[in-house]
Amino acid sequence: MSISSSKKITKILGAELDKLVSLPLIWLTLIGTFILNLVLAAAFTSAGLQGAAGTQSILNIGLASMGYLQAGFIILGISATCSEYTSGQIRTTLTVIPWRGFQLSAKHLALAVITIPAAFIIAASGILYTFMMMRDTAVGFEIDTMIETLVGATGYLTLTTLLSAAIGALLRRTTPALVMLLGYYFIISPLSRDFLPNYFPDTAGYYMYMPASNDEINVLTPMQGTGILMLWTLIFIKVAIIFYRQRDA
Amino acid sequence: MRALNAELSKLFSLPGIWLAFLIGALAPAVIAALDSIVEKEDIIAGVSTRLAEIGYSGLGFGVQGVIILGVLSVSSEYLTESSESGGGQQITTSLTVVPSRPHFLMAKAGAVTVTSILLCMVAMMTTVSATHLILGEYAPAFEASRLIGVVCYWTFTALLAFGITVLTKNGIIPLTVLIINSSVISFSFLLSKITKLAFYLPDRAGIEMFMSFNDESNAIFNRFHTPFTAGLVMLVWVAVFFIVAVIVFHRRDVAA
Repeated sequence: MSISSSKKITKILGAELDKLVSLPLIWLTLIGTFILNLVLAAAFTSAGLQGAAGTQSILNIGLASMGYLQAGFIILGISATCSEYTSGQIRTTLTVIPWRGFQLSAKHLALAVITIPAAFIIAASGILYTFMMMRDTAVGFEIDTMIETLVGATGYLTLTTLLSAAIGALLRRTTPALVMLLGYYFIISPLSRDFLPNYFPDTAGYYMYMPASNDEINVLTPMQGTGILMLWTLIFIKVAIIFYRQRDA
Repeated sequence: MRALNAELSKLFSLPGIWLAFLIGALAPAVIAALDSIVEKEDIIAGVSTRLAEIGYSGLGFGVQGVIILGVLSVSSEYLTESSESGGGQQITTSLTVVPSRPHFLMAKAGAVTVTSILLCMVAMMTTVSATHLILGEYAPAFEASRLIGVVCYWTFTALLAFGITVLTKNGIIPLTVLIINSSVISFSFLLSKITKLAFYLPDRAGIEMFMSFNDESNAIFNRFHTPFTAGLVMLVWVAVFFIVAVIVFHRRDVAA
């Protein structure tokens, strides 16, 4: 049976989406991240309310939980690719879709389709909560800035998820991938922030959503940050695909 | 005793355990070395305020290694094998061989404790030699009492990770929570801005066994416990988690 190339891609994408949607861990992670984010937003808001009134911006506090939030999305990315390897599902997958490059690209695309709305809702809920609690005390903001920030935050979380998925596909085991990514994002990066230039995935991505502040010099514009993070993600996906094509399943 | 031997051999043959040993043994030394390089000039000039902390902050982060150790030791038992090799879980075999569940859990906890103490010894050796290599005669003396604090902190953290993983059966959640919590921007740190009770959380209390917080300008960094009470607080946490884990593990169906 011969089918046209575009139809083939749609079918692969549909299959990958189906697999992701039926993965219980994905939903658990998303729900857990959502609840955790609200708890953290509440904590940051209450810490902000205790501080000097009228000095903090709602956006800054609403996005303060982003640092923790990305952990949930890292798990999401890793579990999407590593779940193929835990029970030998990968061999079934490759029997049905014998084009490895296509298959992995479609997986990343399907992951992005799920992540973008989820990231948007989760990031928006944090800001909304802070807004409701702090309406009276904090500095107001323009609606344009909020939209820009939200889009930046969504993009950052999505690209981080794709990056984690690529690393997961490279390492094929959940635990080492998780430890390496969390170790980098939460230990190595904060410790080495003063020595290294802002060209690493998380530091460049930081500028995608952090509103420009006056007291520190913003080294990168949001667009530059997006570009650098996207470049990192594409490089990792490319490397993952190259290894995937060469390697014995 | 034979169960303990068996658990030790299982622990050392785990896939992914190399990561725990690598991080546990080398990360503290690397962080201590970087710290020493940054502070070297100040220390030689005699104006460094952080001389007493050199090395200990590295050992504080190196606890990641034993977190992995504690989590992996349990989560590997519950890992479902691929359907091509029967789709079983190791825990059924383990409990066939050692039918008493409290014994099994004790042997496993014993293996984790022994390994994390050994790993901590190695980490301290590498850290001390790293600081001596870089700072030479200016290297701070490492006091025995604080080093004992480090050993306790590592062991208790490993047991905490162990206990939590017995409850969740899945390695991802405890690994994420504990790794983030031992990082610079921990949840406990955030919570301690809101409520004083956060000083009684295991990691926040435990770290006071060897870190001396004496930053008067910032209440968060101020010392809250003495090393001894800090150890006691953490021990209570470990004991609570462990007792709950034993009860749950004793009552739970293996397949559930």
